[in-house]
Amino acid sequence: MSTQTLDGFPKDLAVGDLAEGSVTLTVDAAVYPLEAIYGAAYIFIDRCFVLLDRPKAGSVAVTLTSKKGPADAEALRRMAGEFANELLTQAWRQKIIEENRVILETVTTQALAGATARAAGAAEPSLDDLASFDFTEEAFDDPLGIAMSWEEKYKKKTPTEAASEATVEGGGAEAKP
Amino acid sequence: MIERRFHRDLYSTASVDGAVKVFEGFARFELVDDGDYRVVRISAKRPERERKVALELGNYALGLTRKGGIS
Amino acid sequence: MLAGIEKPSVTFPAFFRVREVSGSFVVTNAQGDWVILTAPEFKAFGEGTVERGTGLWDRLKAANLIRAEFDVPAAVARLKKRMKFLDNGPNLHILVVTLRCNETCVYCHASRADMTAVETDMSAETAEKSVELALGSSSPFITVEFQGGEPLVNFSVVKHAIEYGQRRAKEIGKSIEFTMVSNLALMDEEKLAFLLDHKVQICTSIDGPEHLHDKQRKLIGSSAFKAAVHWIKRINQAYVERGLDPSLYHVEALLTTTREALSRGREIVDTYEALGCKAMFLRPIDPFGFVEKTAHRVEYPREEYLQFYRDTTDYIIELNKQGKQVLERYAAIFMSKILNGEDPNFLDIRSPSGAGISAIAYNYDGLVFAGDEARMMHETGDDTFLLGKVGELTYDTMMSHPTIRALVLGSNLNGRPDCVNCAYNPYCGVDGVHTYKTQGSISGRMRESTVSAVHKGIMDYLFEKIREGDPETMQVFRRWTINRSRDHFVQDPV
Repeated sequence: MSTQTLDGFPKDLAVGDLAEGSVTLTVDAAVYPLEAIYGAAYIFIDRCFVLLDRPKAGSVAVTLTSKKGPADAEALRRMAGEFANELLTQAWRQKIIEENRVILETVTTQALAGATARAAGAAEPSLDDLASFDFTEEAFDDPLGIAMSWEEKYKKKTPTEAASEATVEGGGAEAKP
Repeated sequence: MIERRFHRDLYSTASVDGAVKVFEGFARFELVDDGDYRVVRISAKRPERERKVALELGNYALGLTRKGGIS
Repeated sequence: MLAGIEKPSVTFPAFFRVREVSGSFVVTNAQGDWVILTAPEFKAFGEGTVERGTGLWDRLKAANLIRAEFDVPAAVARLKKRMKFLDNGPNLHILVVTLRCNETCVYCHASRADMTAVETDMSAETAEKSVELALGSSSPFITVEFQGGEPLVNFSVVKHAIEYGQRRAKEIGKSIEFTMVSNLALMDEEKLAFLLDHKVQICTSIDGPEHLHDKQRKLIGSSAFKAAVHWIKRINQAYVERGLDPSLYHVEALLTTTREALSRGREIVDTYEALGCKAMFLRPIDPFGFVEKTAHRVEYPREEYLQFYRDTTDYIIELNKQGKQVLERYAAIFMSKILNGEDPNFLDIRSPSGAGISAIAYNYDGLVFAGDEARMMHETGDDTFLLGKVGELTYDTMMSHPTIRALVLGSNLNGRPDCVNCAYNPYCGVDGVHTYKTQGSISGRMRESTVSAVHKGIMDYLFEKIREGDPETMQVFRRWTINRSRDHFVQDPV
C-alpha cells in the first residue's frame, strides 16, 4: 500500500492510496461520537467499501475504498472531504436532536396522529380486522396504578379475603377490610 | 488468503460472525480472536474473489453493527 | 462581530435567527414573524439599546422579537396556523397508470417505457384497490392525480378509476378531486368530453417556445409543442363553452428548467402568457430518472439558475404591472408564508415535508410509495421508500410504516444542521427523498444541498423586494398569495 497526502488535509489526519482507490481518515473519538462516525461511514457504503479500525485509544481510522477501483488524487480528496463534512453534520445533528427533542417529537406525533385519525364516514373495522386484533394485550400501561384496586395497590386484603381468613383463624369480628 | 481485522469496540462479534455466515458460500473462512480484534481469514480459489469478499464483508458487518449495536 | 455588535444582550432579544441579505439583516423568529433591519438597527437590537416608543421598538414588538414583551398566545396562534397541515393525513394520491409514453423527454424523471411495454399498464383491479386505499385517508378531501408515462395511453383505466372513485367517495362521504398530468398528444374529443364531464383538472408540460420544447420532448413524426398547444387552446375553449371563468379555469403548464432554458427566460414567459397560462413554476431540474444519464446535457450550477430566476421573475413582475396576470409559483408559495403566515401546503417546501405523510404514489403494479420521488427511485432500482402493495396494505398499516415516521422526523428542519440556525427556517422545506437521493440520508447536508441553495437564493430575492418596498411590486406579490379555489373540480359527497 503506497499512501500519499491529500491536498488540504494534514498528513496525520488523512492519507490516500491511488492504486487502491482508498482514503484513510483518522478521527478523534473525543470530538466525534461513535454514532456520528457510524452514520457518516454508512452513507458511503453504496459507493465505497468501508472499514473502521482503532489504531490507538481515542482514535478511529475510517478507510473508504472506492468500488470503482483506482482513483486519481482529486477524486480521493473529494471523497475525504465529503466524509469530513458528513461526519461534522452527523455529530452536530446528534446534538441538535438532543436539544430539540421535544419539538421534534411533538411535531412527529401530531403528524402521525393526524394521519392515522379515523375520518368521519370511514369504514368501521371489518370482522377480519377484529379477528386479527389481540384482545389479550393490556389496554395501556398504568404507571400510576390507576386501574388497580386499592387492595392490589397497597397490598391489602379484600373484604372477602379478610373475611375468609378470619373464618379460618376464628377471629372474624376483628377482621379488618 | 486475506485477513480482515474487526476491532471489538467498533464491530460486535455477532455482526462479524453474522456477515461471515452470509458470505460462506463464496469463500472459506477462519475466525479467530486476537486481543481486541475478531479476525477473519478469507480464502478462495481466485485472489480477486478473496479481495471482493473481504471488502464486502466489511460493509456487511458495519450494517449489522448499525442495526444491532455493539454488545 | 455581525453588524459591529460589541456587547450582545442576552435579555433584550427574544429568540431569533438572522441572515444578512445585500447589506440588510433579515431577522425572524420561530413562528415566522420577521423584520428587515439596517446594520445600525440590528446593532441596537443585538445590544439591547433600542429606545422604548421609537419606530424600531414598535417594529420589533410587532414582530414578537422583544423578550420582555413576548406575546405567548400570539406566538402559539401563529405556529398553529402554520402547522395546520399536520391535522390530516395524505391528501395527494398519485396513480401512475402506465410507464408507457409516446414522447421521450431528455430529463424524464418518471423512467418512461416504450409504447410496446403493455406490462407497465395498471389494471382496473389495481386502480380500484389504489383508490380504495386513498379514500381511507383521514383527510376529508383527497386529490387523485393521474400520471405516467403518459396517462392517456391507459385511458380505459383512468376512466374506470374516476368512475369508481366518484362512486366510492360519495358512499363514504369524502370530497374528491381528480387531476391529470398529460403531454396531451393523444387527446381526442371523446376523451376530452369524458374528462370535462367528470371535472378532471388537466395539466401539461411546456418547456418554452416551440424549438426548445420539441428539442427536449421528442414526439415521433410530429411536434410535441404543436400537439400540446392545440389541446391547451381546445380545452380552454371548452371551459368557456361550459360557462366557466377563463381566468380561473384553464390548462396550467409545468416547466422543467434545463440548461438550454437558462438563457431564454423571457421567451418562455411570453410563450406561457400567450397560451393563457396564469402560473409559471420556474423549477430547476431534479435528480430523478433519466437525468442521472443526461445530466451532462441538461444540468447546471445553481448560481446560474438563481440568476435565471431573478431575471425571469423580474420580467414576470413587469408583465403584471402592465396588466397581464401571470404568477411565479415559488414566489407565491414563499410569499404566502412570509406575508400571510400561512402554509399553502406545497409538499416539497414544507417542514416536515409531504413525502408519505401527505402524498402517496401508487405504481402501475400496485406497489405503494411514500410519494412520487420515492416511486421514481424504485424505477431506478432503489426501494428504500416502498411501503407495501395495494390489497395487502391497510391505511393504518401504511401510515404507521416506520419509513413514514423516519421521513417526518428526518425532514423536520429543526433537526437539521444549518436549517436549525437559518433565518428562513419557518418558510422552508427540503424533501427527505431528494436528500437521500443526492446525499445518502433523509436529513442530508443542507449546506451542500442544491435545493437549499435554491430556496435561500429565492428568498433572498424576495426579501430584497420587500425591503425595496415598491408598492406596485408588493401589490403583485400580495395578489399572488390569494388562493382562488377552483370549486368546479371539487366533488363533494352531497
